[in-house]
Amino acid sequence: MKLKYLYLILLLVASLFFTISWAYSTQPKVINILMPAPFADSTSDLIKRYNDEHRQNIQIKVTRGPRETEAVSDLAISSLLLGRSSFDLILMDVTWLPKYAAAGWIAPLDSFIEKADWESLALGARIGNSYKGKIYRWPLAADMGLLYWRKDLMKNPPRTPEELIDISLKLQNEGKVNYGYVWQGRQYEGLSCVFLEILNGFGGKWINNSGDVSIGSNQSKEAAKWLRDLIDTGVSPNAVTNFSENESLQIFSSGQAALMRNWPYAWAELQKPSSVVKNKVGVTTMVAKKGYETTSTLGSWGLSILSTSDKKEESYNVISYLTSEDAQKELFEKNGYTPTSTSIFKNEKLIKDFPILNALGNALEVAKPRPQTPLYAQLSDVLQRELSSILTENKNINDSMNKAKEKTSQILLASGEIE
Amino acid sequence: MNKKMNIIIGSLIIWSIAPLAWQLYTSFSSPEALVEPFSQIKNRWTLENYIQVLTADPPFWKYLLNSTIVGLTTTFITLLFAIPAAYSLSKLKPIIAKSARLILFGAALFPYVLLFLALLEFARYLNIGNNLIALSIPYSALSMPLAVLLLSSAFKDIPKDLEEAARLEGLGIFQRLRWILIPLIAPATSSTAILIFLFSWNEYPIALTWISKNDLLTLPVAIARIAGSSVYSIPYGAYAAATVLGAMPLLLIVLLFQKQIVSGLTQGAIKG
Amino acid sequence: MILLLLLPATVLIALIFGIPLIRYAWISTHAFSVITGLELVPNQGANWLRLINDQRFWQDTFQTVRFASLSVSIELLLAICIALILDQKWRGRGITRAISLLPWALPTTIMALGWRWIFNTPFGPIDQIFNIVGIESINILSNPNITWIATVIADVWKTTPFIALILLAGLQSIPNDLYEAFRLEGGKPIQAFFKITLPLLRPYILLAVLFRLAQAFGVFDLIQVMTGGGPASSTESLALYAYLNAMRFLDFGYSATLMLGSFFLLVIACILSWIIISRFQYQLNEEKT
Repeated sequence: MKLKYLYLILLLVASLFFTISWAYSTQPKVINILMPAPFADSTSDLIKRYNDEHRQNIQIKVTRGPRETEAVSDLAISSLLLGRSSFDLILMDVTWLPKYAAAGWIAPLDSFIEKADWESLALGARIGNSYKGKIYRWPLAADMGLLYWRKDLMKNPPRTPEELIDISLKLQNEGKVNYGYVWQGRQYEGLSCVFLEILNGFGGKWINNSGDVSIGSNQSKEAAKWLRDLIDTGVSPNAVTNFSENESLQIFSSGQAALMRNWPYAWAELQKPSSVVKNKVGVTTMVAKKGYETTSTLGSWGLSILSTSDKKEESYNVISYLTSEDAQKELFEKNGYTPTSTSIFKNEKLIKDFPILNALGNALEVAKPRPQTPLYAQLSDVLQRELSSILTENKNINDSMNKAKEKTSQILLASGEIE
Repeated sequence: MNKKMNIIIGSLIIWSIAPLAWQLYTSFSSPEALVEPFSQIKNRWTLENYIQVLTADPPFWKYLLNSTIVGLTTTFITLLFAIPAAYSLSKLKPIIAKSARLILFGAALFPYVLLFLALLEFARYLNIGNNLIALSIPYSALSMPLAVLLLSSAFKDIPKDLEEAARLEGLGIFQRLRWILIPLIAPATSSTAILIFLFSWNEYPIALTWISKNDLLTLPVAIARIAGSSVYSIPYGAYAAATVLGAMPLLLIVLLFQKQIVSGLTQGAIKG
Repeated sequence: MILLLLLPATVLIALIFGIPLIRYAWISTHAFSVITGLELVPNQGANWLRLINDQRFWQDTFQTVRFASLSVSIELLLAICIALILDQKWRGRGITRAISLLPWALPTTIMALGWRWIFNTPFGPIDQIFNIVGIESINILSNPNITWIATVIADVWKTTPFIALILLAGLQSIPNDLYEAFRLEGGKPIQAFFKITLPLLRPYILLAVLFRLAQAFGVFDLIQVMTGGGPASSTESLALYAYLNAMRFLDFGYSATLMLGSFFLLVIACILSWIIISRFQYQLNEEKT
């Protein structure tokens, strides 16, 4: 008896599947995009307009992924690992690209891209889209680390590490602020981003161009020491070692700090009525030692076509639409997404309405990516651990950075990156 | 029956129910009430969370259906394999049966989450990802050790003479199983079946790696995917509604089959 | 013929349990990651070398052992009390048993999400109560020193009923005459507990502890949904780390190595707890004589 019912259920389920797949085959071409929830929300107007215009032939369907960056990637990877993915396009963070490209999951875009279009991109926006000489991603929104400073407390922002400490201590001694400088010191990806900027500012490298591990260099030790000095001298609060972007922003927007390291999204938050420092904030890039260039860590999101998609041509058209200059303008005005085209950074009217645009353009010029290797997540984890132990447990900087180097090499060796 | 005892029992019940009750309370709370759970607010109650969950794409009942499908097929396959195996085990020489039991016991203990990677390769190799029926293959294997152990001890309890008499009547092994033995172990079978069903209904890591299509997710994975967002600024009311809806079927199962579940677990302990 | 009946089940078990372990042993001696294009390339034990030097692996081992031992011990203590209560006859026993069984029957992910909301700062009830009482908020889910305790609480809530039921079965198998005889000899109830109940309960305790220890060692659902392993991977379990290596870092070689490594550690842990509980029994016997 029981058996019969089970077969009945199986039959019902099977027929349901067939009906659904048949129904799908007769509809217009659907381009399925996986996006993190915030992006799905901010692009919904653009996509609605596109779908209205292309009612007959193409429809964009957005799969609203989770909010958290890594959770979106987990979702995409789990469908890619099974071999059949229902997505055509995926909105990717800059750090995922080498991994996806090396796994062969995303298709090179070189054959679609017009040279003139590529050259219309700001220099910083061109970085982080390629792997082994091929372009795999078109940027939707740029993102880079910025130094926010209080215009009412200082004439000019600090440009060197020494100046930063001097200005902070002076303001703290005068009692104008509780803290000099707030940043992201918790053991997480943000700490790697903070460190990369300082490391470059001290003339150091994480992994140099030929793929050698140079994290144990003297420059890296100086950079780590400077971060610890920030806490030891009281320029940064002890609690900074538990700060992510949000906590830093809270302290800064309540007027308790003179300087903050954060991403462009913070600007809009600081202009809200609830912010004590509204209209008192300037934006620049991170400090660097004399003789070295200032750097800002490149964030940025972009669209890639999955290799398994059988609608690559149409997908590329969708990319072009979503990253057109009009779309960039709209996303910048409504959501504060940093544009990617040079021409927008030169748009006089836009600069007048949004003075921050200049600073964003400058920062994008000096943006540098994090190491572009498929193993980035593991390497970053090693660095975060060692830095965190330096900052919170007062571990010997020399030992910790040497350890970081050794472990980084071990990861590269075990995964087959180096023989 | 004294006062102290009452207090202990009372706290046991509260401890078991309080987190669930809080979910229930949250699921009916409006966004304003969520933020200030203990203050006086005008618009405290709402059904909005449930409407949101039930009208989402795919609607929530789809996940319940998926989990039920996997649960039923797994239970069926497992019993189909486990009953003959358990019978056979109860007839083996004691020394062999004992070592077989030990191996089964070890397998039942094994934290199967450690198998997920190989099982994922398996799914990819055979191209059976995103398939609810295929998902019941690993599930059946994972619940097999416990099922065989439980059922074989039930077979052992059947008096030898009974089967012997049937054999003398000229019944073959399958006939004996079908007409004499299986009806006799029906109580053990039903408690085993419910334990298997509960296991496959609740299983998470394998489903997480085998199913990626939104409309095929089983309940635990769907819930976890809902949770895959940051702790801050997420619509917890809707999540709570989802957890309440997801808990309902199990609440029913536990209340209806309480006896079977308890005897399944305890039989396992006594004979295992 | 009779062996033939055993065949399908054996094949299925061997397929799903046996082959993966062999496969892991093979993979763990190879580089098998996104770097190698998801091909197997021998790497002369580099995975195992990395495992031994991997701070995160040892931290996760520490965390897993800490989580497993604390939650299993609390569960055991609570379960003995619950089992003793449920062993007596009183009105409403059936319904109480059903209610206390409920946490065990629910999918872990459902209540992991629930606990996340309960421990949430600042909107969760715990934080709100702290607020009302006037205790400063302790950020339960973002303080690396505290979060793991929250996960233990959630685990205790869920799995105590399971142990309690197993122990209850044990209690019910103890003949009443023994207690009767002990009482007639002038023994006190508390002595009866240590001299009769506990020794006779030992096999059940051993069973429950081994079972729970193995499960807690492989804890995954609860951690992944409740904390995601954070903050700063302070609640990350071995299983979660292995999962992340495969699904996030696409390093299958190292993931397989981690899983085999955890498996060996688990075997050691089981043997150790077996010895400890047997010793305990031995001591009890000594006392008795």
